[in-house]
Amino acid sequence: MKSTRRSAILESGVITVAGPLIVFSIYLLFAGHNQPGGGFSGGLVAGVLISLVWAAGGTAAVRRVVPLRATLLMGTGLVVAALTGFASLLPGLVFLESGYVEVSLPVFGDVKVVSALFFDIGVYLVVVGMALGLVKALGEEGKPMEAEQ
Amino acid sequence: MIPLLVLHVAVAAALALFHRRLGRWAFVLGAIGPAATLLWALSIAGDVIAGSPEIDSFSWVPSLGLEIGFRIDSYALLFLLVIAGAGLPIFLYSHRYFSASRRATIFAATMLVFAGSMTGLVAADHLLVLFVFWELTTISSYLLIGYKDEEASARSAALHAALVTGAGGLAMLGGMVLLAGEAGTYVISELIANPPAATAAVNAGWALVLIGAVTKSAQFPFHAWLPGAMAAPTPASAFLHSATMVKAGIFLVGKVGVAAAGSADWWQPAVLILGGITMVIGGWRALRQHDLKLLLAYGTVSQLGFIFLLMGSGIPELVFGGVALLLSHALFKATLFMVVGAIDHETGTRDLRRLSGLRSSMPRLFWVAVATGLSMAAVPLTIGFAAKEAAFVALLDENVWWVAAAAAASTLTVAYTGRFLIGAFGTHHPDREPAHGSALSVRNTLLSAPGSLALISVAVGLIPTALFPLVDSATEAVTGISKAGKLVVWPGWVAALAWSLASLSIGLVLAWRSDLMSRAGDRVAVVARRLPDAENVYRRSIPALLRFADSSSSLLQSGSLPAYLAIILIVAVVGPTVAVLAEGPTLLVPENGSLLEWMLGILIVGFAVSLAFVRRRFAVVILLGGVGYGMAGVYSVFGGPDLTLTQLLVETLVITLFAFVLRHLPATFARPATARLPRLAVALAVGAFVFGAGLVVNAARQPSAVAASYLEQSVPEAAGGNVVNVILVDFRAFDTFGEITVLVAAVLGAAGLVVPVIRNARSRA
Repeated sequence: MKSTRRSAILESGVITVAGPLIVFSIYLLFAGHNQPGGGFSGGLVAGVLISLVWAAGGTAAVRRVVPLRATLLMGTGLVVAALTGFASLLPGLVFLESGYVEVSLPVFGDVKVVSALFFDIGVYLVVVGMALGLVKALGEEGKPMEAEQ
Repeated sequence: MIPLLVLHVAVAAALALFHRRLGRWAFVLGAIGPAATLLWALSIAGDVIAGSPEIDSFSWVPSLGLEIGFRIDSYALLFLLVIAGAGLPIFLYSHRYFSASRRATIFAATMLVFAGSMTGLVAADHLLVLFVFWELTTISSYLLIGYKDEEASARSAALHAALVTGAGGLAMLGGMVLLAGEAGTYVISELIANPPAATAAVNAGWALVLIGAVTKSAQFPFHAWLPGAMAAPTPASAFLHSATMVKAGIFLVGKVGVAAAGSADWWQPAVLILGGITMVIGGWRALRQHDLKLLLAYGTVSQLGFIFLLMGSGIPELVFGGVALLLSHALFKATLFMVVGAIDHETGTRDLRRLSGLRSSMPRLFWVAVATGLSMAAVPLTIGFAAKEAAFVALLDENVWWVAAAAAASTLTVAYTGRFLIGAFGTHHPDREPAHGSALSVRNTLLSAPGSLALISVAVGLIPTALFPLVDSATEAVTGISKAGKLVVWPGWVAALAWSLASLSIGLVLAWRSDLMSRAGDRVAVVARRLPDAENVYRRSIPALLRFADSSSSLLQSGSLPAYLAIILIVAVVGPTVAVLAEGPTLLVPENGSLLEWMLGILIVGFAVSLAFVRRRFAVVILLGGVGYGMAGVYSVFGGPDLTLTQLLVETLVITLFAFVLRHLPATFARPATARLPRLAVALAVGAFVFGAGLVVNAARQPSAVAASYLEQSVPEAAGGNVVNVILVDFRAFDTFGEITVLVAAVLGAAGLVVPVIRNARSRA
């Protein structure tokens, strides 16, 4: 099923949905604590977007859109999650126990910032890294864009 | 205690670190370990013998009650004195025995680690601490026995010892866990004070502990590893196989003997029979050896059997005799091993058929050997005699047959002692060129180390009452009875003396007429060849074990994916089904669902059934996706938005990833190689099982207190309205952390597997 043809419909379709998907992905990440969502589903949305980019433009397109190494994303995610856990120790809480502060932000009004959010960001990064890593590893052979250039 | 162990490790590490510079002096430095133990043991000896044990413990994990506990009562003190008292001269002896080499230094470090482990073992008051030190002695003794690792025989002897004692150690661990579970404590002193009542578990526990002790102390039928271990350099044999390693099993049965005999009625006969058989077999085989070291090794097996049955019996009078014998045995056996080492070192052989005239060329060594040899043969005025008399008196009170057996073993002991002394130092074969040794100077530790032990042996032989407080209070520490026996130079005309003198005189005759003995021995050997020999049993059991491993793994690991799947699925179906049917299941049949639920159900089933009829891979993936999306619908109907969302996203991603993989595979499935019907049967069974499980599991469901508390605490504790997310990132965040770590590892693994395959395929294309 090696395809070397570009599909205009697919490409413009992906470009069209990319923006909303990114917004949706980040929305899920931040809304997760009180609404359905969370770092895992947010990361999956981004992962689906990455696989769409691959479908439209192959590995080369994925490399251009996300110019990061998958291992860097996953490693950063793990470090962020771990640091969140250790940060809980400072005020005398248990590892990974969450605390929160209320802040007033210009647009959003009064917001409770929960430390667990940072943990969720770690999860998010790991999941995005996973999707990126798998797409790159499994999608290596087909390079439709390069084949045309 | 703990500083002492740290000292052992620190000095051993220093030896290993500076092995280039130290050479043979490593052994002198290493002697710091046993010297410190000895000084410390002597410094606390007064208090401990008076009855106040030295307790030292370090709380490791307080919340689990895990303590590294040490308790030195006078029983442990006795062993400490034996370990350090034998260890110190042996270290100094090694200084002259080894020629300078890097490996000798490492050997010194290993021996020090061994000495430290042994010290910790006898002082431990926690079953698991004891086990750890027990295994440390196994590992370090493996390294010591296998020192000459260029020789296959040394390697296999080391492996033999490690396998037997290691397997015994594992059995012992199982026994300890059983016993501690029944007794409710891992603290040895508490366990012994209140032994658990005899249940099946307790009986099994004692049996397993006994196996550990039997293997470690080279008792029948596991005695063959000890003579094999003579492949070790002689200092190691002197240390491990006279005073320490083999005494660990005896230490254990002595320690738990009273408690075990009290709660398991088979314990006493078992110990007596095993020890008795070992004692006679060892004595007999010692008589048949030509290698002086092997002769001593079988003699050790015999003596260990005697001490084992005395100490393990749990009868105070016998234990008293056992403790006394243990002391005298350590004194004479360590000395004699060192004597053999000195002979070997000077003449280059240990074969008594080649040695001749050493009495005149090595006179000082000769007198050292005679002084301790007489003690081994239990000739009056030696400590060996005083100890054996104590044992005989006690045995006579129990059962005359036990004395007869012990006297038979003693007769053999006298005979092999004669064989040893005459063989090593006598003048024979005047026609052949014998191996001559050179006289050793007193300043040479090859002579002075065994010589000093021999002096102690002679001194306590003349004044055995000097040892009485130690032996008596050690006996009291494990049996609770004081003054259970006597240590005297001359017992007076009692019945036990008759047995002693009889075995002594018959033994002397046997030693005198060694030609008769060897002819009789040849005849017995013809008969004995038909009996299984422990050595051969071991030799044959190892290939048999490997063959069994081969055949079982080739049976279980056929390499066929359908076979694996079938086995896994069938086990998964049959196991729980049998369990549930045995219990008598309650089913929860759901009420008639809504129209939406019916539609989703039909959709999912439709996708699933059509899967079985599709041959194109891509269609299969799409249909599987349909099942997944249907499930997302079900979640949504039952009010799980988070699950729905995640299911939808995962399903989407999975379909995409499948598409990636499918590019590398043929478009359609190949015709299956195996018959369809069995596959269909397995599939239907799994389907029916999952359906049934759903009904059963739902009936067993109870409202969970955890769920309620999560719901209550979500907002106040974690400031989150979405309980699912709060559970993931707060309440059970540690789990999530573990999961993302696993996810990363899985991705790295998958990428590592897939990328080379694809690259390979591309480069070939």
